[in-house]
Amino acid sequence: MGNKIVVPFGSQHIALPEPVSFLFDTKNEIITNVKVDVGYVHRGIEKAAITKFEFTNVSYLLTRICGFCSITHAGGYHHGIEKLLDVEAPKRAEYIRLIITELDRIHSHLLANAHVAEVAGYENLFMQGVKDREIVMDLLENITGNRIQYDIYTIGGVRRDISKETAEYIKKQLLKLKDKVLKVYDFYDTDYTFGLKTKGISYISLDDAKKYNVVGPIARASGLATDARAEFDYLPYDEVGFEIQTRTEGDVWARNIVRQMEVIHSIDLILRAIDNLPEGDIKVKYKGRPKGETFVRVEAPRGECFYYLKGNGTKVLERVRVRVPTYSNIPILKELFVGEKYSDAQPIVLSFDPCMSCTAR
Amino acid sequence: MGFFSKFRKKSPWILHYNTGGCNGCDIEILATLAPKYDIERFGALNRGNPKQADILLVTGPVTKNCRDVLRRLYLEMPEPKVVVAMGACGHGGGVFRHLYNVENGVDNIIPVDVWIPGCAPNPRALIDGIVEAIKIWEKKSKDKEYMKNHSKEMIKNLGVNDD
Repeated sequence: MGNKIVVPFGSQHIALPEPVSFLFDTKNEIITNVKVDVGYVHRGIEKAAITKFEFTNVSYLLTRICGFCSITHAGGYHHGIEKLLDVEAPKRAEYIRLIITELDRIHSHLLANAHVAEVAGYENLFMQGVKDREIVMDLLENITGNRIQYDIYTIGGVRRDISKETAEYIKKQLLKLKDKVLKVYDFYDTDYTFGLKTKGISYISLDDAKKYNVVGPIARASGLATDARAEFDYLPYDEVGFEIQTRTEGDVWARNIVRQMEVIHSIDLILRAIDNLPEGDIKVKYKGRPKGETFVRVEAPRGECFYYLKGNGTKVLERVRVRVPTYSNIPILKELFVGEKYSDAQPIVLSFDPCMSCTAR
Repeated sequence: MGFFSKFRKKSPWILHYNTGGCNGCDIEILATLAPKYDIERFGALNRGNPKQADILLVTGPVTKNCRDVLRRLYLEMPEPKVVVAMGACGHGGGVFRHLYNVENGVDNIIPVDVWIPGCAPNPRALIDGIVEAIKIWEKKSKDKEYMKNHSKEMIKNLGVNDD
């Protein structure tokens, strides 16, 4: 019944913004086996963080693990090092950090959804999504001065304040964005042909999600309510009224819908944070060197990111360990391919929103 | 100027390869293809096939795993071709310089024509770089400055004789 054909997908491919290699064994278009190589991006960052950089500078290296979730890595590192140095950032700085983190999540989710739409055959929808995303990028450039690598975190606060005019501008633009996002949400929700391409593809049940330890929007699309924003206290999320967004369908479609719901919720969070922005300083001074060990859990756009830091009282840290969300999602991704058609492979990969530069570091 | 050189400049197709950077530049490339910056005004499209591409857009510091892939992509592209290195880590490694798995920049592997600085470069800078690349590409097309004109060292570096 048909010959076995090996189809390579990557390391260089039009649908992939970063190098990762999949080798699909196919039989009559049905995938029978898959080999994954994620090692193309390995640079040796964890080693460099404990040999080449001082603890004041290492954040600039760690944020460059990944461009999408650079603010997550900055957050993970700084919340940890602030525990070790025993400093607490002022309330206003925490709120500014929250605003930037959520803006980062919005732009990452919008791009991920647009990407899924593109590989499902909706190039126009991709353009629409990226066009909406430009509003967020504009805001980020306004607040931090750069579009991708913000480096807004410093030890004990943030680098830049949000002025009154900027706050008004953010509000105005976000309300505009919310209208546009709701329109696209309607399309994802109700369009028949988009449903044909995405509904029921690569189904993950709640039990499987628990068994394979899935995190992020992929877990929440299967009904597993896990979110580090609610479970770990690192930014004032409870003060702005954070709620976990879940669906129960567990397919490519549900993952898109969860991301879109999170975008809308993030917009609400930012609007509330801007309204209740406390007055005061944005930075406090710190003394001493990091000593002892600690861990931090932060929520990246792709799921939970774990940081372990260990200092020994010198300028250079003794250990920096990062566990990123895509790493815990790869085992189930490999299982899901078997039995699906090759033409669905691209939407499946991109619905996971994989971040290989995080995974291999 | 030949028949093809005249029309070639209207459609410079791009081949994009990330050699282990942080994705930041790649997001900006996607943004540049999208409506607000719209690089298609210059006829540039992102095509995944090296055999159809004219401009090789490289991001990242070139990790050891990516080195051979990058070299092969360069050799598979038809002449005349232009290489654009994007981002600070393409320029000698950037923040990743001298890490144990990094080759310190694109020009250690293949010859580079245009450099786009920044971390990550703004889409406006990227458009500027692509326009610059189109000019160089036109000149190469006229002068027939092909790979045989490379220095002996570079040809040895590329490993053309071994293939």
